[in-house]
Amino acid sequence: MNDDRWNDDYLWDGRGTPDEEIVRLEARLARFRHRAALAPLPPRRAPARFAVQAALQLAAAAASLVLVAAAAWFAFTVRSSGWTVQALAGAPAVAGTAIATPSRVPIGETVTTDGRSRARIDVSTIGFVDVEPDSRVRLLASRAGEYRLALDRGEIRARIWAPPRRFFVNTPSSTAIDLGCAYTLRVDEHGAGRVLVESGWVAFEHNGRESFIPQNAVCATRPGAGPGTPCYTDAPAGIEAALTILDFSSTDDVRRAAALETVLSRARVKDAFTLWHLLSRGTRAERERVYQRLASLVPPPAGVTRERILAGDRRARDAWWNALGLDTASWWRIWKRKW
Amino acid sequence: MIGDRTAVTRFPAGQAAEDGRLVRSARAGDESAFARLYDRYGRVVHALLLARVRREDVDDLVQDVFLTAWRRLEDLRDPAAFGGWIATIARHRATDAHRRAAEFVELPADVAGPGAASDEAEAHAALDAIRSLPDAYRETLMLRLVEGLTGPEIAQRTGLTPASVRVNLHRGMKLLRGTLERVRGPEPGKVSPDT
Repeated sequence: MNDDRWNDDYLWDGRGTPDEEIVRLEARLARFRHRAALAPLPPRRAPARFAVQAALQLAAAAASLVLVAAAAWFAFTVRSSGWTVQALAGAPAVAGTAIATPSRVPIGETVTTDGRSRARIDVSTIGFVDVEPDSRVRLLASRAGEYRLALDRGEIRARIWAPPRRFFVNTPSSTAIDLGCAYTLRVDEHGAGRVLVESGWVAFEHNGRESFIPQNAVCATRPGAGPGTPCYTDAPAGIEAALTILDFSSTDDVRRAAALETVLSRARVKDAFTLWHLLSRGTRAERERVYQRLASLVPPPAGVTRERILAGDRRARDAWWNALGLDTASWWRIWKRKW
Repeated sequence: MIGDRTAVTRFPAGQAAEDGRLVRSARAGDESAFARLYDRYGRVVHALLLARVRREDVDDLVQDVFLTAWRRLEDLRDPAAFGGWIATIARHRATDAHRRAAEFVELPADVAGPGAASDEAEAHAALDAIRSLPDAYRETLMLRLVEGLTGPEIAQRTGLTPASVRVNLHRGMKLLRGTLERVRGPEPGKVSPDT
Protein backbone atom coordinates (compact mmCIF):
# COMPACT_ATOMS: atom_id res chain seq x y z
CA MET A 1 0.00 0.00 0.00
CA ASN A 2 2.96 2.24 0.50
CA ASP A 3 3.28 2.94 -3.20
CA ASP A 4 -0.08 4.59 -3.43
CA ARG A 5 -0.55 8.30 -3.34
CA TRP A 6 -3.65 8.62 -1.25
CA ASN A 7 -4.35 7.96 2.35
CA ASP A 8 -7.04 5.33 2.75
CA ASP A 9 -8.11 6.13 6.31
CA TYR A 10 -11.20 7.82 4.99
CA LEU A 11 -11.96 4.83 2.78
CA TRP A 12 -11.47 2.51 5.74
CA ASP A 13 -13.60 4.07 8.42
CA GLY A 14 -14.54 7.58 7.34
CA ARG A 15 -11.89 9.21 9.52
CA GLY A 16 -9.00 11.28 8.32
CA THR A 17 -8.97 13.67 5.43
CA PRO A 18 -11.92 13.03 3.15
CA ASP A 19 -10.90 11.81 -0.27
CA GLU A 20 -12.67 13.99 -2.81
CA GLU A 21 -13.44 11.20 -5.24
CA ILE A 22 -14.69 8.81 -2.58
CA VAL A 23 -16.96 11.47 -1.13
CA ARG A 24 -18.30 12.10 -4.61
CA LEU A 25 -18.88 8.40 -5.21
CA GLU A 26 -20.64 8.01 -1.86
CA ALA A 27 -22.96 10.87 -2.72
CA ARG A 28 -23.77 9.51 -6.16
CA LEU A 29 -24.14 5.86 -5.17
CA ALA A 30 -26.25 6.40 -2.06
CA ARG A 31 -29.33 6.38 -4.28
CA PHE A 32 -28.86 2.63 -4.76
CA ARG A 33 -28.68 1.91 -1.04
CA HIS A 34 -30.80 -0.80 0.56
CA ARG A 35 -33.87 0.69 2.20
CA ALA A 36 -36.66 -1.83 1.85
CA ALA A 37 -38.23 -3.30 4.96
CA LEU A 38 -38.64 -7.02 5.41
CA ALA A 39 -41.72 -8.24 3.61
CA PRO A 40 -44.41 -10.07 5.61
CA LEU A 41 -43.34 -13.60 6.38
CA PRO A 42 -45.46 -16.69 5.82
CA PRO A 43 -46.15 -18.96 8.80
CA ARG A 44 -43.30 -21.27 9.51
CA ARG A 45 -43.66 -25.01 9.21
CA ALA A 46 -43.53 -27.07 12.36
CA PRO A 47 -39.93 -27.58 13.50
CA ALA A 48 -38.34 -30.62 11.97
CA ARG A 49 -38.03 -32.55 15.20
CA PHE A 50 -41.79 -32.51 15.60
CA ALA A 51 -42.19 -33.51 12.00
CA VAL A 52 -39.80 -36.40 12.53
CA GLN A 53 -41.68 -37.55 15.62
CA ALA A 54 -44.94 -37.36 13.78
CA ALA A 55 -43.44 -39.23 10.89
CA LEU A 56 -42.23 -42.00 13.16
CA GLN A 57 -45.61 -42.35 14.79
CA LEU A 58 -47.30 -42.51 11.45
CA ALA A 59 -44.74 -44.67 9.74
CA ALA A 60 -46.35 -47.99 10.53
CA ALA A 61 -49.77 -46.88 9.42
CA ALA A 62 -48.38 -45.22 6.32
CA ALA A 63 -46.45 -48.30 5.32
CA SER A 64 -49.62 -50.25 4.90
CA LEU A 65 -50.87 -47.64 2.47
CA VAL A 66 -47.73 -47.42 0.38
CA LEU A 67 -48.37 -50.42 -1.81
CA VAL A 68 -51.93 -49.39 -2.43
CA ALA A 69 -50.94 -45.81 -3.22
CA ALA A 70 -48.11 -46.90 -5.45
CA ALA A 71 -50.38 -49.14 -7.42
CA ALA A 72 -52.94 -46.38 -7.79
CA TRP A 73 -50.29 -43.85 -8.78
CA PHE A 74 -48.83 -46.22 -11.34
CA ALA A 75 -52.20 -46.90 -12.88
CA PHE A 76 -53.08 -43.21 -12.93
CA THR A 77 -49.75 -42.14 -14.34
CA VAL A 78 -49.73 -44.70 -17.09
CA ARG A 79 -53.20 -43.69 -18.14
CA SER A 80 -52.73 -39.96 -17.76
CA SER A 81 -49.22 -39.35 -19.09
CA GLY A 82 -49.80 -37.02 -21.99
CA TRP A 83 -53.03 -35.40 -23.01
CA THR A 84 -55.93 -36.43 -25.20
CA VAL A 85 -56.10 -34.88 -28.65
CA GLN A 86 -59.04 -35.03 -30.99
CA ALA A 87 -59.69 -33.60 -34.43
CA LEU A 88 -62.14 -30.71 -34.68
CA ALA A 89 -61.69 -30.32 -38.42
CA GLY A 90 -59.57 -31.87 -41.13
CA ALA A 91 -56.75 -34.19 -40.16
CA PRO A 92 -54.46 -32.84 -37.47
CA ALA A 93 -51.34 -34.90 -36.90
CA VAL A 94 -49.56 -36.22 -33.87
CA ALA A 95 -45.89 -36.94 -34.43
CA GLY A 96 -46.52 -36.50 -38.13
CA THR A 97 -49.30 -39.08 -38.31
CA ALA A 98 -52.87 -37.94 -38.94
CA ILE A 99 -55.29 -38.85 -36.17
CA ALA A 100 -58.76 -40.09 -36.90
CA THR A 101 -59.98 -40.77 -33.37
CA PRO A 102 -59.18 -39.21 -29.99
CA SER A 103 -55.60 -40.15 -29.19
CA ARG A 104 -53.18 -39.90 -26.33
CA VAL A 105 -50.21 -37.64 -26.98
CA PRO A 106 -47.19 -38.33 -24.82
CA ILE A 107 -45.11 -35.58 -23.31
CA GLY A 108 -42.48 -34.40 -25.74
CA GLU A 109 -44.63 -35.08 -28.77
CA THR A 110 -45.92 -32.58 -31.31
CA VAL A 111 -49.39 -31.74 -32.58
CA THR A 112 -49.57 -30.03 -35.97
CA THR A 113 -52.44 -28.71 -38.02
CA ASP A 114 -52.44 -27.78 -41.69
CA GLY A 115 -54.43 -25.00 -43.33
CA ARG A 116 -57.70 -26.90 -43.03
CA SER A 117 -57.43 -28.77 -39.77
CA ARG A 118 -58.06 -27.96 -36.14
CA ALA A 119 -57.54 -29.99 -32.99
CA ARG A 120 -58.60 -29.91 -29.36
CA ILE A 121 -56.20 -30.87 -26.60
CA ASP A 122 -57.71 -31.73 -23.24
CA VAL A 123 -55.25 -30.42 -20.69
CA SER A 124 -55.64 -33.05 -18.02
CA THR A 125 -58.65 -31.97 -15.98
CA ILE A 126 -57.92 -28.24 -15.96
CA GLY A 127 -59.19 -27.12 -19.35
CA PHE A 128 -58.65 -27.45 -23.04
CA VAL A 129 -56.70 -25.86 -25.85
CA ASP A 130 -57.96 -25.58 -29.39
CA VAL A 131 -55.19 -25.65 -31.96
CA GLU A 132 -56.12 -23.53 -34.95
CA PRO A 133 -55.02 -24.14 -38.59
CA ASP A 134 -51.35 -23.98 -39.58
CA SER A 135 -50.09 -24.44 -36.06
CA ARG A 136 -47.46 -26.47 -34.28
CA VAL A 137 -47.73 -27.27 -30.58
CA ARG A 138 -45.45 -29.36 -28.39
CA LEU A 139 -46.44 -30.90 -25.07
CA LEU A 140 -43.73 -30.17 -22.53
CA ALA A 141 -45.03 -31.09 -19.08
CA SER A 142 -48.10 -32.53 -17.43
CA ARG A 143 -47.91 -32.92 -13.70
CA ALA A 144 -49.65 -31.53 -10.68
CA GLY A 145 -48.93 -27.83 -10.54
CA GLU A 146 -47.44 -27.53 -14.00
CA TYR A 147 -49.12 -28.07 -17.32
CA ARG A 148 -46.94 -26.67 -20.05
CA LEU A 149 -46.88 -26.63 -23.81
CA ALA A 150 -44.96 -24.74 -26.44
CA LEU A 151 -46.57 -22.88 -29.30
CA ASP A 152 -43.92 -22.77 -32.00
CA ARG A 153 -46.18 -21.15 -34.59
CA GLY A 154 -49.83 -20.66 -35.34
CA GLU A 155 -52.67 -20.01 -32.95
CA ILE A 156 -54.25 -21.59 -29.89
CA ARG A 157 -57.35 -20.73 -27.94
CA ALA A 158 -57.03 -21.76 -24.30
CA ARG A 159 -59.83 -22.18 -21.79
CA ILE A 160 -58.39 -22.96 -18.39
CA TRP A 161 -60.30 -23.25 -15.15
CA ALA A 162 -57.45 -24.35 -12.91
CA PRO A 163 -56.15 -22.05 -10.19
CA PRO A 164 -53.77 -19.39 -11.49
CA ARG A 165 -50.23 -20.28 -12.46
CA ARG A 166 -50.84 -23.87 -13.36
CA PHE A 167 -50.91 -23.61 -17.13
CA PHE A 168 -48.00 -22.20 -19.15
CA VAL A 169 -47.43 -21.71 -22.83
CA ASN A 170 -43.87 -21.17 -23.99
CA THR A 171 -43.50 -19.09 -27.13
CA PRO A 172 -40.27 -18.13 -28.89
CA SER A 173 -40.30 -14.75 -27.18
CA SER A 174 -42.22 -15.07 -23.90
CA THR A 175 -43.95 -17.43 -21.55
CA ALA A 176 -47.69 -16.96 -21.15
CA ILE A 177 -48.82 -17.73 -17.63
CA ASP A 178 -52.47 -18.43 -17.13
CA LEU A 179 -54.00 -16.63 -14.20
CA GLY A 180 -57.42 -18.22 -14.59
CA CYS A 181 -58.76 -17.23 -17.94
CA ALA A 182 -59.58 -17.73 -21.58
CA TYR A 183 -57.33 -16.33 -24.22
CA THR A 184 -56.11 -16.58 -27.79
CA LEU A 185 -52.40 -16.66 -28.48
CA ARG A 186 -50.83 -16.37 -31.92
CA VAL A 187 -47.20 -16.79 -32.93
CA ASP A 188 -46.01 -15.93 -36.43
CA GLU A 189 -43.22 -17.49 -38.44
CA HIS A 190 -40.71 -15.03 -36.98
CA GLY A 191 -41.56 -15.97 -33.41
CA ALA A 192 -43.47 -12.77 -32.69
CA GLY A 193 -46.58 -13.30 -30.62
CA ARG A 194 -49.82 -11.60 -29.63
CA VAL A 195 -52.28 -12.54 -26.94
CA LEU A 196 -55.92 -11.50 -26.68
CA VAL A 197 -57.45 -12.14 -23.28
CA GLU A 198 -61.15 -12.89 -23.33
CA SER A 199 -61.66 -13.42 -19.62
CA GLY A 200 -59.51 -13.36 -16.50
CA TRP A 201 -55.83 -12.46 -16.65
CA VAL A 202 -52.72 -13.60 -18.48
CA ALA A 203 -49.16 -12.72 -17.62
CA PHE A 204 -46.38 -12.58 -20.18
CA GLU A 205 -42.87 -13.01 -18.87
CA HIS A 206 -39.43 -13.12 -20.40
CA ASN A 207 -36.13 -12.62 -18.57
CA GLY A 208 -37.78 -10.73 -15.77
CA ARG A 209 -39.78 -8.42 -18.02
CA GLU A 210 -43.45 -8.84 -17.20
CA SER A 211 -46.75 -7.74 -18.63
CA PHE A 212 -50.14 -8.28 -17.03
CA ILE A 213 -52.99 -8.48 -19.48
CA PRO A 214 -56.58 -8.19 -18.28
CA GLN A 215 -59.79 -9.20 -19.98
CA ASN A 216 -60.41 -7.45 -23.31
CA ALA A 217 -56.78 -6.45 -23.68
CA VAL A 218 -54.03 -7.45 -26.09
CA CYS A 219 -50.29 -7.64 -25.77
CA ALA A 220 -47.54 -8.32 -28.29
CA THR A 221 -44.25 -10.09 -27.71
CA ARG A 222 -41.12 -10.20 -29.85
CA PRO A 223 -38.01 -12.38 -29.88
CA GLY A 224 -35.14 -10.63 -28.22
CA ALA A 225 -37.38 -8.10 -26.56
CA GLY A 226 -39.97 -10.10 -24.66
CA PRO A 227 -43.45 -8.91 -23.84
CA GLY A 228 -44.63 -5.53 -24.96
CA THR A 229 -47.07 -3.17 -23.32
CA PRO A 230 -50.69 -4.31 -23.14
CA CYS A 231 -53.65 -2.17 -24.08
CA TYR A 232 -57.39 -2.61 -24.29
CA THR A 233 -58.88 -3.69 -27.59
CA ASP A 234 -61.01 -0.56 -27.58
CA ALA A 235 -58.07 1.73 -26.88
CA PRO A 236 -58.16 5.00 -28.87
CA ALA A 237 -56.92 4.73 -32.42
CA GLY A 238 -53.18 4.69 -32.82
CA ILE A 239 -52.27 3.56 -29.32
CA GLU A 240 -51.53 -0.07 -30.12
CA ALA A 241 -49.36 0.88 -33.10
CA ALA A 242 -47.57 3.49 -31.04
CA LEU A 243 -46.89 0.93 -28.33
CA THR A 244 -45.33 -1.36 -30.91
CA ILE A 245 -42.81 1.38 -31.69
CA LEU A 246 -42.12 2.12 -28.04
CA ASP A 247 -41.75 -1.53 -27.10
CA PHE A 248 -39.68 -2.84 -29.95
CA SER A 249 -37.65 0.02 -31.41
CA SER A 250 -34.24 1.19 -30.28
CA THR A 251 -34.15 4.14 -27.94
CA ASP A 252 -32.74 6.39 -30.67
CA ASP A 253 -35.54 5.64 -33.12
CA VAL A 254 -36.88 8.97 -34.37
CA ARG A 255 -40.46 7.69 -34.28
CA ARG A 256 -40.49 7.27 -30.53
CA ALA A 257 -41.30 10.85 -29.60
CA ALA A 258 -44.41 10.92 -31.75
CA ALA A 259 -45.42 7.46 -30.57
CA LEU A 260 -45.16 8.48 -26.96
CA GLU A 261 -47.11 11.64 -27.62
CA THR A 262 -49.87 9.55 -29.22
CA VAL A 263 -50.10 7.22 -26.24
CA LEU A 264 -50.01 9.95 -23.61
CA SER A 265 -52.36 12.35 -25.31
CA ARG A 266 -54.98 9.75 -26.14
CA ALA A 267 -54.87 7.61 -23.02
CA ARG A 268 -58.07 7.49 -21.00
CA VAL A 269 -58.32 6.81 -17.29
CA LYS A 270 -59.14 3.26 -18.30
CA ASP A 271 -55.78 3.08 -20.08
CA ALA A 272 -53.84 3.82 -16.91
CA PHE A 273 -52.72 0.20 -16.73
CA THR A 274 -51.02 0.66 -20.09
CA LEU A 275 -49.14 3.69 -18.81
CA TRP A 276 -48.27 1.78 -15.65
CA HIS A 277 -46.33 -0.73 -17.72
CA LEU A 278 -44.47 2.10 -19.44
CA LEU A 279 -43.22 3.38 -16.09
CA SER A 280 -40.50 0.77 -16.17
CA ARG A 281 -39.71 0.86 -19.87
CA GLY A 282 -38.00 3.17 -22.29
CA THR A 283 -35.62 5.98 -21.56
CA ARG A 284 -35.65 8.03 -18.41
CA ALA A 285 -36.96 11.05 -20.29
CA GLU A 286 -39.83 8.97 -21.61
CA ARG A 287 -40.59 7.52 -18.21
CA GLU A 288 -40.70 10.99 -16.72
CA ARG A 289 -43.38 11.97 -19.19
CA VAL A 290 -45.28 8.75 -18.51
CA TYR A 291 -45.10 9.46 -14.79
CA GLN A 292 -46.60 12.91 -15.27
CA ARG A 293 -49.42 11.68 -17.46
CA LEU A 294 -50.27 8.69 -15.30
CA ALA A 295 -50.25 10.92 -12.23
CA SER A 296 -52.79 13.17 -13.94
CA LEU A 297 -55.05 10.19 -14.63
CA VAL A 298 -54.62 8.25 -11.40
CA PRO A 299 -52.77 10.16 -8.69
CA PRO A 300 -50.04 8.06 -7.09
CA PRO A 301 -50.84 6.87 -3.58
CA ALA A 302 -49.10 8.29 -0.56
CA GLY A 303 -45.43 7.43 -0.50
CA VAL A 304 -45.18 6.76 -4.21
CA THR A 305 -42.97 9.54 -5.42
CA ARG A 306 -41.59 10.51 -8.77
CA GLU A 307 -38.10 9.70 -7.52
CA ARG A 308 -39.03 6.19 -6.43
CA ILE A 309 -40.78 5.45 -9.67
CA LEU A 310 -37.96 6.77 -11.82
CA ALA A 311 -35.48 4.87 -9.72
CA GLY A 312 -37.27 1.66 -10.68
CA ASP A 313 -38.68 0.97 -7.21
CA ARG A 314 -40.88 -2.05 -7.80
CA ARG A 315 -42.73 -1.64 -4.52
CA ALA A 316 -43.72 1.85 -5.52
CA ARG A 317 -44.92 0.60 -8.88
CA ASP A 318 -46.89 -2.17 -7.20
CA ALA A 319 -48.49 0.33 -4.84
CA TRP A 320 -49.55 2.46 -7.79
CA TRP A 321 -50.93 -0.62 -9.54
CA ASN A 322 -53.11 -1.24 -6.52
CA ALA A 323 -54.49 2.27 -6.94
CA LEU A 324 -55.57 1.62 -10.53
CA GLY A 325 -58.62 -0.27 -9.35
CA LEU A 326 -57.92 -3.37 -11.43
CA ASP A 327 -56.67 -5.81 -8.89
CA THR A 328 -53.94 -5.81 -6.33
CA ALA A 329 -50.39 -6.63 -7.30
CA SER A 330 -50.10 -9.07 -4.44
CA TRP A 331 -51.93 -11.87 -6.21
CA TRP A 332 -49.26 -11.84 -8.84
CA ARG A 333 -46.36 -11.57 -6.42
CA ILE A 334 -47.75 -14.38 -4.29
CA TRP A 335 -48.18 -16.73 -7.19
CA LYS A 336 -45.00 -15.73 -8.88
CA ARG A 337 -42.47 -18.52 -9.16
CA LYS A 338 -39.83 -19.53 -11.63
CA TRP A 339 -41.09 -20.64 -14.98
CA MET B 1 -12.18 -15.57 -4.27
CA ILE B 2 -10.12 -12.92 -5.98
CA GLY B 3 -8.77 -10.09 -3.90
CA ASP B 4 -7.27 -11.03 -0.60
CA ARG B 5 -6.84 -14.72 -1.27
CA THR B 6 -5.99 -15.43 2.31
CA ALA B 7 -9.37 -14.15 3.43
CA VAL B 8 -11.16 -16.39 5.89
CA THR B 9 -14.71 -15.71 6.99
CA ARG B 10 -14.99 -15.75 10.73
CA PHE B 11 -17.64 -13.76 12.48
CA PRO B 12 -16.89 -12.13 15.82
CA ALA B 13 -17.76 -14.53 18.62
CA GLY B 14 -20.25 -12.25 20.29
CA GLN B 15 -22.06 -11.52 17.06
CA ALA B 16 -22.12 -15.18 16.04
CA ALA B 17 -23.60 -16.11 19.40
CA GLU B 18 -26.23 -13.42 19.06
CA ASP B 19 -27.00 -14.63 15.54
CA GLY B 20 -27.39 -18.14 16.92
CA ARG B 21 -29.89 -16.95 19.50
CA LEU B 22 -31.85 -15.05 16.90
CA VAL B 23 -31.92 -18.02 14.55
CA ARG B 24 -33.18 -20.33 17.28
CA SER B 25 -35.91 -17.85 18.17
CA ALA B 26 -36.83 -17.46 14.54
CA ARG B 27 -37.04 -21.21 14.15
CA ALA B 28 -39.63 -21.17 16.90
CA GLY B 29 -41.62 -18.68 14.84
CA ASP B 30 -40.35 -15.41 16.32
CA GLU B 31 -40.62 -13.02 13.40
CA SER B 32 -39.06 -10.14 15.31
CA ALA B 33 -35.90 -12.19 15.78
CA PHE B 34 -35.76 -12.79 12.06
CA ALA B 35 -36.37 -9.10 11.43
CA ARG B 36 -33.27 -8.35 13.52
CA LEU B 37 -31.28 -10.70 11.32
CA TYR B 38 -32.68 -8.85 8.35
CA ASP B 39 -31.60 -5.53 9.83
CA ARG B 40 -28.13 -6.92 10.40
CA TYR B 41 -27.60 -8.61 7.04
CA GLY B 42 -30.05 -6.89 4.68
CA ARG B 43 -27.44 -4.47 3.38
CA VAL B 44 -24.92 -7.25 2.88
CA VAL B 45 -27.37 -9.28 0.83
CA HIS B 46 -28.40 -6.18 -1.09
CA ALA B 47 -24.79 -5.36 -1.91
CA LEU B 48 -23.98 -8.91 -3.03
CA LEU B 49 -26.97 -8.88 -5.34
CA LEU B 50 -26.39 -5.37 -6.62
CA ALA B 51 -22.90 -6.44 -7.59
CA ARG B 52 -24.30 -9.12 -9.86
CA VAL B 53 -27.86 -8.63 -11.10
CA ARG B 54 -30.03 -5.98 -12.70
CA ARG B 55 -30.68 -3.13 -10.33
CA GLU B 56 -34.42 -3.32 -10.85
CA ASP B 57 -34.44 -6.92 -9.68
CA VAL B 58 -32.38 -6.44 -6.55
CA ASP B 59 -35.11 -5.47 -4.09
CA ASP B 60 -37.23 -8.45 -5.03
CA LEU B 61 -34.27 -10.78 -4.82
CA VAL B 62 -33.36 -9.51 -1.36
CA GLN B 63 -36.82 -10.48 -0.24
CA ASP B 64 -36.50 -13.85 -2.00
CA VAL B 65 -33.23 -14.55 -0.24
CA PHE B 66 -34.62 -13.82 3.20
CA LEU B 67 -37.83 -15.68 2.47
CA THR B 68 -35.77 -18.68 1.44
CA ALA B 69 -33.75 -18.40 4.62
CA TRP B 70 -36.91 -18.12 6.71
CA ARG B 71 -38.26 -21.29 5.17
CA ARG B 72 -35.00 -23.18 5.45
CA LEU B 73 -33.82 -22.20 8.89
CA GLU B 74 -34.01 -25.86 9.87
CA ASP B 75 -31.34 -26.62 7.26
CA LEU B 76 -28.81 -24.36 8.94
CA ARG B 77 -26.82 -26.80 11.05
CA ASP B 78 -24.90 -24.14 12.96
CA PRO B 79 -27.24 -21.28 13.84
CA ALA B 80 -24.25 -19.09 14.62
CA ALA B 81 -23.21 -19.34 10.97
CA PHE B 82 -26.21 -17.40 9.72
CA GLY B 83 -24.14 -14.56 8.24
CA GLY B 84 -22.14 -16.78 5.94
CA TRP B 85 -25.16 -18.87 5.12
CA ILE B 86 -27.34 -15.97 4.02
CA ALA B 87 -24.49 -14.62 1.90
CA THR B 88 -24.18 -17.98 0.19
CA ILE B 89 -27.90 -18.05 -0.53
CA ALA B 90 -27.63 -14.56 -1.98
CA ARG B 91 -24.73 -15.49 -4.25
CA HIS B 92 -26.53 -18.59 -5.50
CA ARG B 93 -29.69 -16.59 -6.05
CA ALA B 94 -27.75 -13.98 -8.00
CA THR B 95 -26.15 -16.64 -10.15
CA ASP B 96 -29.53 -18.15 -10.83
CA ALA B 97 -31.07 -14.80 -11.69
CA HIS B 98 -28.17 -13.87 -13.90
CA ARG B 99 -28.39 -17.18 -15.73
CA ARG B 100 -32.06 -16.58 -16.39
CA ALA B 101 -31.46 -13.09 -17.72
CA ALA B 102 -30.04 -13.37 -21.21
CA GLU B 103 -29.71 -9.63 -21.28
CA PHE B 104 -28.11 -7.51 -18.64
CA VAL B 105 -29.14 -4.13 -19.89
CA GLU B 106 -29.82 -1.20 -17.64
CA LEU B 107 -31.92 1.67 -18.84
CA PRO B 108 -29.68 4.22 -20.52
CA ALA B 109 -28.58 6.83 -18.05
CA ASP B 110 -27.51 9.44 -20.53
CA VAL B 111 -30.84 10.29 -22.05
CA ALA B 112 -31.80 13.18 -19.83
CA GLY B 113 -30.30 16.61 -19.88
CA PRO B 114 -27.59 18.14 -17.73
CA GLY B 115 -27.81 18.82 -14.00
CA ALA B 116 -29.52 16.18 -11.93
CA ALA B 117 -29.49 13.83 -14.88
CA SER B 118 -25.72 13.98 -15.13
CA ASP B 119 -25.50 13.00 -11.47
CA GLU B 120 -27.56 9.97 -12.22
CA ALA B 121 -25.51 9.13 -15.28
CA GLU B 122 -22.39 9.37 -13.16
CA ALA B 123 -23.97 7.14 -10.53
CA HIS B 124 -24.80 4.50 -13.11
CA ALA B 125 -21.34 4.71 -14.60
CA ALA B 126 -19.81 4.25 -11.15
CA LEU B 127 -22.10 1.32 -10.43
CA ASP B 128 -21.14 -0.33 -13.70
CA ALA B 129 -17.48 0.28 -12.98
CA ILE B 130 -17.74 -1.42 -9.58
CA ARG B 131 -19.57 -4.32 -11.15
CA SER B 132 -16.71 -4.80 -13.57
CA LEU B 133 -14.26 -5.47 -10.73
CA PRO B 134 -13.34 -8.92 -9.38
CA ASP B 135 -15.82 -10.40 -6.89
CA ALA B 136 -14.05 -9.59 -3.65
CA TYR B 137 -13.44 -5.99 -4.61
CA ARG B 138 -16.89 -5.26 -5.98
CA GLU B 139 -18.65 -6.78 -3.00
CA THR B 140 -16.54 -4.84 -0.53
CA LEU B 141 -16.84 -1.60 -2.46
CA MET B 142 -20.59 -2.01 -2.79
CA LEU B 143 -20.80 -2.31 0.98
CA ARG B 144 -18.57 0.72 1.50
CA LEU B 145 -19.69 3.11 -1.23
CA VAL B 146 -23.31 2.11 -1.79
CA GLU B 147 -24.45 0.72 1.54
CA GLY B 148 -22.40 3.19 3.53
CA LEU B 149 -20.75 0.71 5.89
CA THR B 150 -17.31 1.40 7.27
CA GLY B 151 -14.49 -1.09 6.91
CA PRO B 152 -14.88 -2.43 10.47
CA GLU B 153 -18.62 -2.81 9.94
CA ILE B 154 -18.01 -4.69 6.71
CA ALA B 155 -15.66 -7.04 8.51
CA GLN B 156 -18.22 -7.61 11.22
CA ARG B 157 -21.02 -8.41 8.82
CA THR B 158 -19.16 -10.47 6.26
CA GLY B 159 -16.93 -12.46 8.58
CA LEU B 160 -13.84 -11.30 6.74
CA THR B 161 -10.92 -10.18 8.83
CA PRO B 162 -10.47 -6.41 9.10
CA ALA B 163 -7.14 -6.79 7.34
CA SER B 164 -8.77 -8.55 4.39
CA VAL B 165 -11.45 -5.92 4.14
CA ARG B 166 -8.89 -3.17 4.21
CA VAL B 167 -6.87 -4.82 1.48
CA ASN B 168 -9.97 -5.36 -0.65
CA LEU B 169 -11.08 -1.78 -0.19
CA HIS B 170 -7.68 -0.39 -1.00
CA ARG B 171 -6.99 -2.52 -4.06
CA GLY B 172 -10.57 -2.32 -5.24
CA MET B 173 -10.60 1.47 -4.99
CA LYS B 174 -7.37 1.64 -6.91
CA LEU B 175 -8.85 -0.44 -9.70
CA LEU B 176 -12.06 1.58 -9.58
CA ARG B 177 -10.23 4.87 -9.96
CA GLY B 178 -8.46 3.50 -13.00
CA THR B 179 -11.68 2.21 -14.51
CA LEU B 180 -13.48 5.50 -13.96
CA GLU B 181 -10.64 7.45 -15.45
CA ARG B 182 -10.74 5.31 -18.54
CA VAL B 183 -14.48 5.83 -18.81
CA ARG B 184 -14.49 9.60 -18.45
CA GLY B 185 -10.94 10.40 -19.44
CA PRO B 186 -8.35 11.91 -17.11
CA GLU B 187 -9.14 15.30 -15.65
CA PRO B 188 -6.68 17.98 -16.69
CA GLY B 189 -3.89 18.32 -14.20
CA LYS B 190 -4.98 15.37 -12.10
CA VAL B 191 -2.48 12.65 -11.36
CA SER B 192 -3.73 9.11 -11.29
CA PRO B 193 -2.67 7.01 -8.32
CA ASP B 194 -1.69 4.39 -10.88
CA THR B 195 0.82 6.67 -12.51
